[in-house]
Amino acid sequence: MTSTILRRIPVGIGIALCAVAIAACGSDDGDDDSGGGFASGLPVEGAKKGGTLKVVSASDVDQIDPGQAYYQLTYLVTSATQTPLYAYKPEDPETPVPVLAESDPRVSPDGRTVTVKIRSGFRFSPPVDRAVTSKDVKYALTRGFFPSVANQYVQNYLGALEGTGPVVEGDTRELSGIQTPDDRTLVLRFTTDIGATAAQALVLPASAPVPEEYARRFDAKKQSDYGFNQVATGPYMIRNDAQGKAVGYQPGRRIELVRNPSWPGAESGDFRPAYVDRVDWTIGGNPTVIGRQVLNGRDMINGDTVPAPIVKQAATRSKEQITFTPLGNRFIPLNMSEPPFDDVNVRKAVAAAIDRTRLQLVRGGKLTGKVATHFLPPGSPGFEAAGGLEGSGHDFLAKPEGDMQLAAEYLRKAGFSNGRYSGPAISMVGTEDDPGSQVVLDQFRRLGFRVNYRSLSQEAMFGACAVPARKVDVCPNYGWLPDFNDGYAYLYGTFNGKAIAPQQNSNWSQLNDPRINAAMDRAARITDPEERAEAWGRIDDQITAAAAAVPTYWDDVPNVQSRNVRGVIARWNGAWDLSFTSLE
Amino acid sequence: MAGYLARRLLWVVALLLAVSAITFAIFYTLPSADPAAMRAGRQPTPQLIAQVRENLGLDQPVYVQYWRYMRDLVLHFDFGFSYQSNAPVREQILDRLPATLSLTGGAVVLWLAIGLPVGVISAVRRRRWPDRLAMGLALVAISAPVYWLGLVALYLFADDIGRFPLLPGANSYEPISQDPAAWLGSLVLPWLVLAASFAAFYARLLRANLLEAMSEDYIRTARAKGLPERQVVLRHGMRAAITPIVTVVGLDVGILLGGAVLVETVFNVPGIGRLAYDAIRTADLPVIQGTVLFGAFFIVVANLVVDLAYAWIDPRVRTA
Amino acid sequence: MSSLSLTEPALPAVVARSPLQLFWRRLREDRVALGALAFIGVLVVVAAAAPLVVEVAGTPPPDAQSSEALDDFGSPTGPSAAHPFGVDELGRDVFSRVVYGARVSLEVALISTGIAVVVGTIMGMVAGFYRGWVDTVLSRLMDILLAFPILLLGIGLASACALGNGCLGGIVRPGLSTVVFVIALASWPYIARIVRGQVLSLREREFVEASRSIGASNLRIMRVDVLPNLVAPIIVYTTLIIPTNILFEAALSFLGVGVQPPTASWGQMLSEAVGIFDTAWWYMLFPGLALLFTVLAFNLVGDGLQDALNPKTGR
Repeated sequence: MTSTILRRIPVGIGIALCAVAIAACGSDDGDDDSGGGFASGLPVEGAKKGGTLKVVSASDVDQIDPGQAYYQLTYLVTSATQTPLYAYKPEDPETPVPVLAESDPRVSPDGRTVTVKIRSGFRFSPPVDRAVTSKDVKYALTRGFFPSVANQYVQNYLGALEGTGPVVEGDTRELSGIQTPDDRTLVLRFTTDIGATAAQALVLPASAPVPEEYARRFDAKKQSDYGFNQVATGPYMIRNDAQGKAVGYQPGRRIELVRNPSWPGAESGDFRPAYVDRVDWTIGGNPTVIGRQVLNGRDMINGDTVPAPIVKQAATRSKEQITFTPLGNRFIPLNMSEPPFDDVNVRKAVAAAIDRTRLQLVRGGKLTGKVATHFLPPGSPGFEAAGGLEGSGHDFLAKPEGDMQLAAEYLRKAGFSNGRYSGPAISMVGTEDDPGSQVVLDQFRRLGFRVNYRSLSQEAMFGACAVPARKVDVCPNYGWLPDFNDGYAYLYGTFNGKAIAPQQNSNWSQLNDPRINAAMDRAARITDPEERAEAWGRIDDQITAAAAAVPTYWDDVPNVQSRNVRGVIARWNGAWDLSFTSLE
Repeated sequence: MAGYLARRLLWVVALLLAVSAITFAIFYTLPSADPAAMRAGRQPTPQLIAQVRENLGLDQPVYVQYWRYMRDLVLHFDFGFSYQSNAPVREQILDRLPATLSLTGGAVVLWLAIGLPVGVISAVRRRRWPDRLAMGLALVAISAPVYWLGLVALYLFADDIGRFPLLPGANSYEPISQDPAAWLGSLVLPWLVLAASFAAFYARLLRANLLEAMSEDYIRTARAKGLPERQVVLRHGMRAAITPIVTVVGLDVGILLGGAVLVETVFNVPGIGRLAYDAIRTADLPVIQGTVLFGAFFIVVANLVVDLAYAWIDPRVRTA
Repeated sequence: MSSLSLTEPALPAVVARSPLQLFWRRLREDRVALGALAFIGVLVVVAAAAPLVVEVAGTPPPDAQSSEALDDFGSPTGPSAAHPFGVDELGRDVFSRVVYGARVSLEVALISTGIAVVVGTIMGMVAGFYRGWVDTVLSRLMDILLAFPILLLGIGLASACALGNGCLGGIVRPGLSTVVFVIALASWPYIARIVRGQVLSLREREFVEASRSIGASNLRIMRVDVLPNLVAPIIVYTTLIIPTNILFEAALSFLGVGVQPPTASWGQMLSEAVGIFDTAWWYMLFPGLALLFTVLAFNLVGDGLQDALNPKTGR
């Protein structure tokens, strides 16, 4: 059983200072290398309407409630069933496009107020079946603060809204910071000047409208089960019964999506074409078996990970059935808060020793990603400034296959006279079924490290690695998917000292360099896109130079489709887009 | 009989209570991870964790938690909610029950149909080649891990990857209500694999018991009376030899109903066993706990049924 | 797993009747059982001398990963001169891993069975000898344990103890200790029940009466009179339980809750084979055969011992 890449979209913690308009947080155009005869995953003209698309995934979605969705996989569903204020077109992961909103959000000059105008024409699916108003968006955002829903994105990005305190405590259901002067206007008031960055959060499914009069009774329970009774505003909906119970979702088994009869379609300004009539999603099984079924069958696409044997089968025998999408980065954080990784020479030794080509190989080879030389991946602003593909020439990252001699030298500089580590044992927590974890373990041992290695499920691994008090030294299976395409979103949560948290920490290296922290604060305020990219690129290089973590590679996420499927990839998610995919 | 029944039922209740208590201890008190943090979602704030702790009563002393847990369990059959999907565990288990029943039912029929005749023939043809062959094969069948047999079966006969594509392979299960033909086809290989291990065991067991029974005096008497050998074996010998078989069938069915994890995993049959296996991957303790309790329940009930059947057949047992 | 129906098969009716010499003679004549015993002997030697075996065979150590043995897509290559059993997905040699896997299987089975036998014997003796409420309590305890679906319980324990700092103050953590703990926990009731049954019948015998009449203490009676007569059935049942426990460990490893990677375990190798066995057949075949032959050997020895003890059910 090979690796299940349950990628998490981590939350950026802390106050963002992207002060002016959203465009400033955008970036230069990233170009992805999709040559080689593989499927492009781009939308096509003249696609056919109709048919039933079959999705097969090894794992289940996490919370089916759009107000709680967290996994990349879950976003596949929510992007088809919900209509948030803004969304990304599948081929452009950088520019949020107004969907439920009529136009770009207006941020006041002092950055404290964001105003959004909402289109008319959108309606809730049966059994609610009424027009959507701004009050429904208000409720959707507010419920993220309820203890029974507890949406982390909402609480982090919009936490600066006025009046959130009492809502989180459960003392009231009213958020004073969100106002609805009329049915089509939404006003968000913040206590600080975070408006522009907070507006970015409006692409999340949490901003999709929720009817309060219907959802209230579900949200009133200790743990809301609105998800199992949800209504939709997008082109598709989870099949439900007359009372609204989403019977089409059987946890761990299947999800059935049918067309939402209340969806207005293209006249409303929604760019989603929604070709297929139904989506039948089966959950469970071995990822390799699933991949094989997709390749050999009809009407099928994969939901989650595609393991190496399937990459091989498709890439060698049927290139048009597989696509690769660049998304995110992977690296090995080294816990700098205590020995031995508080010593930069030991860190550089480890970085030099890691054979990144083997890590790439066991995931499926060159097609599945590029060896990384720093942290910002190709296509992100600042990638070139940080050194591009080659990197800026740090000696300990110069050889992708590893440089044991250099590693030995650095160990000698650290005080280990024979070039091998002979200090106390270190603790490492890897993920089951992740071949990369074992490759990293092996390489540490070759350097002389004694490693207390534990192999846990992904959840348990996070439970250990994201809690600084547990003092895990190395967690090899880490990576980052940004909430939006900007240096801040890649580097703040993972490498800023202020982001270190006692629970659910995302800065696993616990890097806390005052100069880097200050540089990040300055860079977050820059509005000119080129200057901003330059600044973040330089920060990336500084972090790389400090060897806080070992950048391993930049994913090119593989996705497979059956022969008769014209799949379209949502590049912001690295997965298929159900509203754009069609059948022949 | 009524007295025996009453005593047995009382013991069953006590047993289930004990099992629940131990399960509670394993899943609530043993782990040193913070259950509130686990239940509070992916990246909760400290306030949220505190809220969840209060909501779910995790800050109460252990005996209060145990009382709540037992109350929910006994009064509402509430097994809690999955960490992963927040769905009620009970619904998930009940949803998987048909697949497990299908797998178990078919396998039982098959292994009895194969194992019993083989056992009888082996005993009757003791030391001759049918016996040696059958017992040799049986020995191999019980020595091989059942999931390995499954993999070999798939490798040879699965219609998508097998060398001799004959039968539907893994991941092809459909509920009988949706597609009876697919349901049947997808279960043939798992049935055969499961039946192979068990049939072998039963054949050996029956053979041993039958040989022992056949060496008793009353058998010699029956033969001396001139009864045909067939009757001697099937009527007199089997009567004694079959009772342990009945016990064991009951127990095995009870165990399998709790989910044949190994076979369900290899063939991806969406039964209770695979539910447990999926839950391990995500450290979804409530689900695992639910499957353990469910499995124990089936085992205990199976034991009860078997004991009652014995008591009804053999009155001496009731005074034990 | 039908292992759990162990209580029923050919229970030697009364053990101490057959003189020891008869037992040995019958065993000596059983060539199959002797052959199996020899195989086990070889296996134990191979497991103990695993590094030597690997060196002699000329294959790389079991943890040695290699990129050369993988193709461009990271797929493992099959049996070849350098790797007689092929390699796995990290380029590690399968032959070496199978050899080292023997260590894990034997170690776990022997240790956990050993613990189960010791605990089970003590409990069974106490229950059978003292009877009364002691017996009731212990028997009920055994019943409770036997009510659990053992595989699921093992999974549950392993998962629960994987989080945080493990269980029982860190003694039980994922890996070998959990596996041994779970298997021992699951096995001792069987031994205890058998022993209890034997003790119940033994304590009424004349030689026990005799000892009691000359004023021997209970402890002495248990040690001198009862225990020696338990040796034979204990041995028989131990050899019956060992193959079950080998399969149990393999099953736990197959499900991912057994020994931790990168330690080689046959069950774990089979679980890794599930994704690639249609093309990488060697990865499924060799660990599976290793398990098959090992368990078969133990079963044959167990059968042989049983037959030697009780010829009525023999072959």
